[in-house]
Amino acid sequence: MTRVLALESFPLANADAVVARARSGDPEAMEQIFRAFQTPVYNLARRICRTVEDAEDVLQETFLEVAKSIGRFRGEGSLWGWVRTIASNKALMRLRRNKYRDTDELHDEVLPTRKEDRHLRMDLEAALERLPEMSRAVVWLHDVEGYTHGEIGAMMGKSVSFSKSQLARAHVRLRGWLGEEAIA
Amino acid sequence: MTHLTMEQLLNVREPASSPGSYSAQQHLETCQVCQAELERLHQRTAQLKALPTLRPPRDQWLEVRSQVVAHRRRRRAVWGGVGGLALAASIAMFLVLGDRNVAAAEEESSRAIGTAMAQSQMLESALGRFRPERRVTDGRTATVVAGLESQIAEVDRQLQVAGMMRQRARDEALLDLWRQRVGLMDALVNVHLTRATHAGL
Repeated sequence: MTRVLALESFPLANADAVVARARSGDPEAMEQIFRAFQTPVYNLARRICRTVEDAEDVLQETFLEVAKSIGRFRGEGSLWGWVRTIASNKALMRLRRNKYRDTDELHDEVLPTRKEDRHLRMDLEAALERLPEMSRAVVWLHDVEGYTHGEIGAMMGKSVSFSKSQLARAHVRLRGWLGEEAIA
Repeated sequence: MTHLTMEQLLNVREPASSPGSYSAQQHLETCQVCQAELERLHQRTAQLKALPTLRPPRDQWLEVRSQVVAHRRRRRAVWGGVGGLALAASIAMFLVLGDRNVAAAEEESSRAIGTAMAQSQMLESALGRFRPERRVTDGRTATVVAGLESQIAEVDRQLQVAGMMRQRARDEALLDLWRQRVGLMDALVNVHLTRATHAGL
């Protein structure tokens, strides 16, 4: 059973105390952080990565990094915001490492171009899945997680314009695949 | 009439990041087609946010935990070497500067602590060479390992606290804790070695 999460805040009772205990190496505190954030981290990773296995790897890498770096978390932003940035970076790193088909040109070659396919209606989930990896990552990080184009560009090692153009192309594609009328 | 491109519509949605969107905004005020397109864009974004949350298919805590423990073990091995040198230096200081009666008892205690630390480090090295985090482990063994590692982590925390005590009490506590640690490390090494022997790994 799935449910929609309010992605801006995840309750972690006594977050400051839990973080302090995690800094001192308390494994129970680390487990509390893991339990509080494992689902949103996995969800983010799964939306960006192609496979369940990659998303699971990102989940593990994220919490290992959290354990290594918790001493550097100063509590200036929310704990979830900090964990989410680690997860986003790990997911993008995984995309680069796997050398997925992340260029539009290559992806276009494998997309169906027959007239009847263009009229095929998809649901949003399937359409999102069908986007090229980098485009999908930009859509998810910008439209759902709320990162700015500047932040996304920095995470990807690309420019702001790259992020903006990827988002625009992705929305044009989503519009077509969802069977929405394009403007004349 | 030329309508707005998707990029222009997205810029209109974020005017702060796109100073050139003023003319697009003006066009939008009078163009119903583009207004409808912008509304669809808003709706699509809302639908993306409302997609169901994908949940992890299995609990990965034990795997994460074992990686965290392996990382801390490697870090501890580095600091353990530094700590051993510090302890050796403190023993030398006792021998040179301390009152001989007091020093004799404390020297004995320090030697015992040093022996326990050396044993613990030897077991750490043995475990490190074994690389348990890279081996397949069944659920029961993983639970036993997790339990032992929890106890070792707790002993390590107590060692940190004991380090801040006064000399006499500190030595007694340290000796007791280091011996506990040796026992736990020994059990942990045995669990991995037994499993490796049975599995033929």
